[in-house]
Amino acid sequence: MLSAIAGLLLVMLVAPLLPGVAGRTKAILTGRRGPPLLQLYYDLARLFRKGVVYSTTTTWMFRLAPVVLAVSALLAACLIPLDGHAAIVGFAGDVIVFTYLLALGRFVLVLASLDTGSSFEGMGASREVTFASFTEVAFFFALIALSLATDSLSFAGMLGAPLVTAWPSAAPSIVMAAATLFVVLLAETSRVPFDDPATHLELTMIHEVMVLDHGGPDLALILYASALKLTLFASIVISVVVPRGMLNPFLALAVLAAGLLAVGIAIGIVESVMARLRLTRVPQVLVAAGALAAFGVILLLR
Amino acid sequence: MTLFFIGLAAILAGGVVAAVTRMRSTRAEAAFGGLVVAGSILALVPALRVLGGAASPVTTVPSRVPGGPWEFGIDALAAFFLLVVLGVGSVIAIYGIGYLRAERSHRSIAGACLGFSALLVSLALVVTARAAIPFLIAWESMSVLGYLVILFEHERADVRRAGLVYLVATHVGTLALFLLFAAWARVATDLRFDTLAASAANLPRQGQVILLLALVGFGVKAGLVPLHFWLPGAHSAAPSHVSAIMSGVVIKMGIYGLLRVGALLAPTPAWWGWTLLSLGLIGGVLGVLWALAQHDLKRLLAYHSVENIGIILLGMGLGFLGITYRQPAVAAIGFAGAVLHTLNHALFKSLLFFGAGSVLRATGTREIDKLGGLARAMPVTWILFLIGAAAIVGLPPLNGFVSEWLVFQALFRSGLGADPMRLAVIGASGLALIGTLALACFAKVAGIIFLGRPRSAAGAQGEAPPLLLAPMAALAAACAMIGLFAGQIVKPALRAGALLARTEPLRGASSDVALAARSVGLLAIALTVIAAVGYGLLARLRARRPIRREETWGCGYAKPDPVMQYTASSFAAPLLAAYAPVVGLRVQESATSFHSHPTEVVLERTIQPLGYRVRSLAARLRPIQQGRLHIYLFYMIAVLLGLILYLVAA
Repeated sequence: MLSAIAGLLLVMLVAPLLPGVAGRTKAILTGRRGPPLLQLYYDLARLFRKGVVYSTTTTWMFRLAPVVLAVSALLAACLIPLDGHAAIVGFAGDVIVFTYLLALGRFVLVLASLDTGSSFEGMGASREVTFASFTEVAFFFALIALSLATDSLSFAGMLGAPLVTAWPSAAPSIVMAAATLFVVLLAETSRVPFDDPATHLELTMIHEVMVLDHGGPDLALILYASALKLTLFASIVISVVVPRGMLNPFLALAVLAAGLLAVGIAIGIVESVMARLRLTRVPQVLVAAGALAAFGVILLLR
Repeated sequence: MTLFFIGLAAILAGGVVAAVTRMRSTRAEAAFGGLVVAGSILALVPALRVLGGAASPVTTVPSRVPGGPWEFGIDALAAFFLLVVLGVGSVIAIYGIGYLRAERSHRSIAGACLGFSALLVSLALVVTARAAIPFLIAWESMSVLGYLVILFEHERADVRRAGLVYLVATHVGTLALFLLFAAWARVATDLRFDTLAASAANLPRQGQVILLLALVGFGVKAGLVPLHFWLPGAHSAAPSHVSAIMSGVVIKMGIYGLLRVGALLAPTPAWWGWTLLSLGLIGGVLGVLWALAQHDLKRLLAYHSVENIGIILLGMGLGFLGITYRQPAVAAIGFAGAVLHTLNHALFKSLLFFGAGSVLRATGTREIDKLGGLARAMPVTWILFLIGAAAIVGLPPLNGFVSEWLVFQALFRSGLGADPMRLAVIGASGLALIGTLALACFAKVAGIIFLGRPRSAAGAQGEAPPLLLAPMAALAAACAMIGLFAGQIVKPALRAGALLARTEPLRGASSDVALAARSVGLLAIALTVIAAVGYGLLARLRARRPIRREETWGCGYAKPDPVMQYTASSFAAPLLAAYAPVVGLRVQESATSFHSHPTEVVLERTIQPLGYRVRSLAARLRPIQQGRLHIYLFYMIAVLLGLILYLVAA
């Protein structure tokens, strides 16, 4: 339990670091100086001290959404066995609760963006729900593959000790699931090639354009929740690739920290070597990712 | 059982009072509402006793009609559906009083009230009938009364047309049910359900014909794809409280029938479970996609009934498969999910139709793209509608999540076995797809109608009256309670599921689920409490910061106009484009204009063209109808000669 709480504190603390690592890698690889590693921490601290500008069109929905988004991400974090053994809350079917908590966050954020009445934000919201419908199916195929490989219904089994014993016999399927999960990570957390967090044209944005009107502490909560979500998906990918169910919980946490760093670098490399996709291409790539995990499922159902 | 019939009599008396007094005074309204609610409570007492574990009461009415005595009884299945019928039905009756009040000035609403209470009574009789003849009588009167209450605004041609399509479709279903019981009667001594169940073993081919007829007969009523074609028209043409009872309660009678016949015939062959499972998946995905394409709020909600019936069928399919493949835990959880989703859908769909009715009353339009910004004029309706929307999407901490979670549980669990049933696990991705599409759809509905600024002159006249808000609040509270106390609700649901699955309740895996459900409930409570506290803290933080009010950022554009806001059609466009082949959206565009019309794929693209084809083929037979007597005499003599020749030849 102690290690589970330590794990939660770890991801909560390092979450804003991950986008920094990705950005730093990208800067080095493209020969620029780039922002400092801790940029998001500075941004969050500054935003929390700032005032807010509210659009006259918005209602309480606009002010509620950042809170619900952050709380749902936080509760989702409690469901992942970050120390490789057990989560703070774990039960049969917790994977579904995890997905639907994130869906709740998406729902309120989309409503908040429609609350502004801005056509740009409406466009972003529309893209968000469209692409989410593809990512979630891919994510579920990966979950099914893990569930079949480990004979379990909860994260504790899918990412814990049963995964260690499943690796030798079900390696192809697990690799496929891991690859799909990494694509889902990029898509769900709006990274290149699906979305570009550094873009400056509203018409091409997805996630960024939904929060155009947010500012101050509200925006800080949204940025923090996105970083936390990125860290959670990264933790899942790490747990699948490097199963830590047999390690000492605290050693497993150290591996997790190193893994998070590696995922950050991997994201940075992807962002340096790829351009973002045309919006019409995004669903195709996501369907392909889902199909990959589905192949993994079929291998296990044989 | 006496209490049950007294309750039904009180409900009917309420309708008669309404018809006699013509609902002209508040006292008449109070008498109608009071009698319906009191009658429902009385009739529910024995049902609740049965759900609590008491023996199920049976009443036998001797009858001279062939088919043996008429039995009525309340077993656990009937008791649960009575809860849906009368519990939700009486709340709908209250909303109906408030909703019809505005109509009183220009038309008689007495018939509508009498029809409504008679519909409630026949619904209650459908689920308690324990013999074929009273069941068919109750079924037919339910269908015809449904037709009559749909036709409230009969001066509108589209309403009459939708009513006609409904009437034809429902009778096709009834015909299948008559055939079903007729086929069964050949092997049974009388038509009581107990006798039918006992004689199930004598049925030729393990009763597969019966199952097929049940699929058609009950499928039409439940809105099973592709037999759902009557549903969107009928549910949107009806006045809103009738839409609520049709979508929330009446279509559940199809589910009841499928469960009942399946239970009478269990164990069913494997194809039955697989058929229900795949029809559920197909119906779920198509239903929500069609909903996404709609411009009319009530049609959209009606298509979501098709989707939710799909989710219920998914659970039922797993239940029957679990019985066939001897996986009692999966069967119990699947049935539990189906049963709980039946109740949940009745709650949130009625809530949403109430919201749609209040919006229609306040603005005079159901066109989503003409609305906007209603949250300001109708703050309470907005919050209640939002609860319903989040519940139907299946988001925690509300009830829709609990039942979908149970279905997910059954899906994932089916993958852990060793038999062919493992394949069902793939359905989990299908259910996830249904969930995200529903999220997109209700983000569109809630966001476009209630948020932003009004898109046309159809602004709201103000908040709905308390008589419309109170029933909505009651249903929203029920939605929240089931979500927050998931642990306590899932237990009886699992007991019901175990009963349908014919296994011991709460053993092994299914008690594991009950335990997990407690965690789900605790998480829901934690979510609500932490979010509320967080909102309060953030509000205090903001209070110490400078806050400015400005126009929405228009990316540099100085004079924003409400017309520039994103519309529901544009919001849904990218998703619909991705699924274009099955959506059936007809688009007309030119350089300066764009129109999209959602079409009903089954009705307008399959049944109607087929009908025209049959008609044109039939027209070729015209020449033999000359209308002259001697030609017909010639036909008769020709046939006579033919018969004689046949006899000679034989």
